[in-house]
Amino acid sequence: MMRLIVPLAAAILFFAAGPCRAQLAVIAHPSAAISAEDVRDIYLGDKQFQGGVKLVPVDNAALQQQFLAKVMELDAARYGAVWAKKAFREGLSAPARKSNDLEVIEFVRRTPGAVGYVASAPPDVRVVQKY
Amino acid sequence: MSKHQVGVTACAANAVRLAALLGGFAASFGAYALTDAERIDRLEQQVSQLSAGTAERSAADEGLPLHGFMDVDARAANNGGLKGFGLGNVDFYLVPTVGERIKGLIELNFEVSDAGELDTDVERMQIGYVFSDAWTVWAGRYHSPWGYWNTAYHHGAQLQTSITRPRFLEFEDRGGIIPAHSVGLWGTGAVRAGSGRITYDLYTGNSQRIDLDAGAPGSGVLDPNLGSSTNHNAMAGFNLGYLFSGTSDGLKLGVHGYTAKIDDDAVPVDSTQVRFLGGYGVYLGNDWEILAEYYRFNNQDLSGGSGTHPSWAGYAQIGKLIGRWTPYARFEKTILDQSDAYFAQQASGQSYDRSVAGIRYDLDPRAALKLEANRTRLTDRQLSSFNELRMQFAIRF
Repeated sequence: MMRLIVPLAAAILFFAAGPCRAQLAVIAHPSAAISAEDVRDIYLGDKQFQGGVKLVPVDNAALQQQFLAKVMELDAARYGAVWAKKAFREGLSAPARKSNDLEVIEFVRRTPGAVGYVASAPPDVRVVQKY
Repeated sequence: MSKHQVGVTACAANAVRLAALLGGFAASFGAYALTDAERIDRLEQQVSQLSAGTAERSAADEGLPLHGFMDVDARAANNGGLKGFGLGNVDFYLVPTVGERIKGLIELNFEVSDAGELDTDVERMQIGYVFSDAWTVWAGRYHSPWGYWNTAYHHGAQLQTSITRPRFLEFEDRGGIIPAHSVGLWGTGAVRAGSGRITYDLYTGNSQRIDLDAGAPGSGVLDPNLGSSTNHNAMAGFNLGYLFSGTSDGLKLGVHGYTAKIDDDAVPVDSTQVRFLGGYGVYLGNDWEILAEYYRFNNQDLSGGSGTHPSWAGYAQIGKLIGRWTPYARFEKTILDQSDAYFAQQASGQSYDRSVAGIRYDLDPRAALKLEANRTRLTDRQLSSFNELRMQFAIRF
């Protein structure tokens, strides 16, 4: 009986902890040689270039709330206000909004300078940071 | 051919047709009998095509979004001034991009003057080239980048906490004593320095002028000289700041300066070398908003021989976000030398102080209701004071 209790308890803990292990990965086109420290600046509009490459960040509608909470430490209202000010003061456009991981991954594969975030990154896409 | 032969031929033809029909049916039936692997493969191809199609759609394909601000208000003053409801501004702006490094900014403003007339204005019309994060050069009409308030809020009523701007920072056509707009070239950028960033602006353009009302002394209003520099002179200015991060995240400190040879249209002309240096401090963090700016003038009379005239202007404002409410207060003061023709010739060039208190309620992240009271004391020319009560409903879209 004891032989069953320990692995059973481990299995219960494993699955109970499942939601806490939900990942978010920032991905980038190979031409965008950015680091994890750059991600917040990019999504605040404070970093537009890496070397000579124009960075093209995109939002992922399916994961935006999680990204804003974990990475940007902002809520949607404040994020919107940041970009409204950036547009009004500096003539910048907010990141385009993709619907889901598939669109973000395909955009990052095809677009030089692209940066996005997904729940699960395929092996052929460069992962900048996992959260 | 005999009847029998015709019948056999027709029968054979029908048999061939039937065989062909059955064969085609069998072939099509066979085509639908896909394996699971083939069906998954087809599904993956369709998904890949769908996602590629939407991924290739760029921002340019989405059209050019139109954004803006709008506000309506009501006010009452106890000095016989304006009372009643009024239309504020409706302000549109667009930010077109051309390729990776060229961008534009167009801002059109429609407002109703105190006299009830509709005024339209091209507030900004600028084209910029982005060399890097460290340097962007704009050409055209832009918000003069001195201090903090002028570029941070300008006509965006919903962006600023209070209803009113500091009186001495009003727009030219509202009695501002410093040119809020410039036409020329503006270089701006930021670089990482330590944990924060150094921000900088260098600008030059047409020297502005003062337009008197039918030549009446003390009736002047600043004009940014959109078409050319009427006195063939240039203005120049700078703004250097440091944006902190880490434990001081949200704090920005800076210094700024400006110089221009500004003439009025009096007879004879009053010509002044306007010069100011100043500083500002802004803290936007932990739900606090603290703003303060200081301007020290040292204007030189170029036409009347009266020498150099020192003056100063400043304000400090504090606000605290509590839930959706932001109570705020501001104090402004100017001491403007009235023997300085630059101030003496402007209708709003008298010294004053003003106390402001108000509260803002955010109905929505993009909509705000504000209530504000202020008391203004004019401390030279005509000594007087008056109180105002204002309400405003401002949105951003």
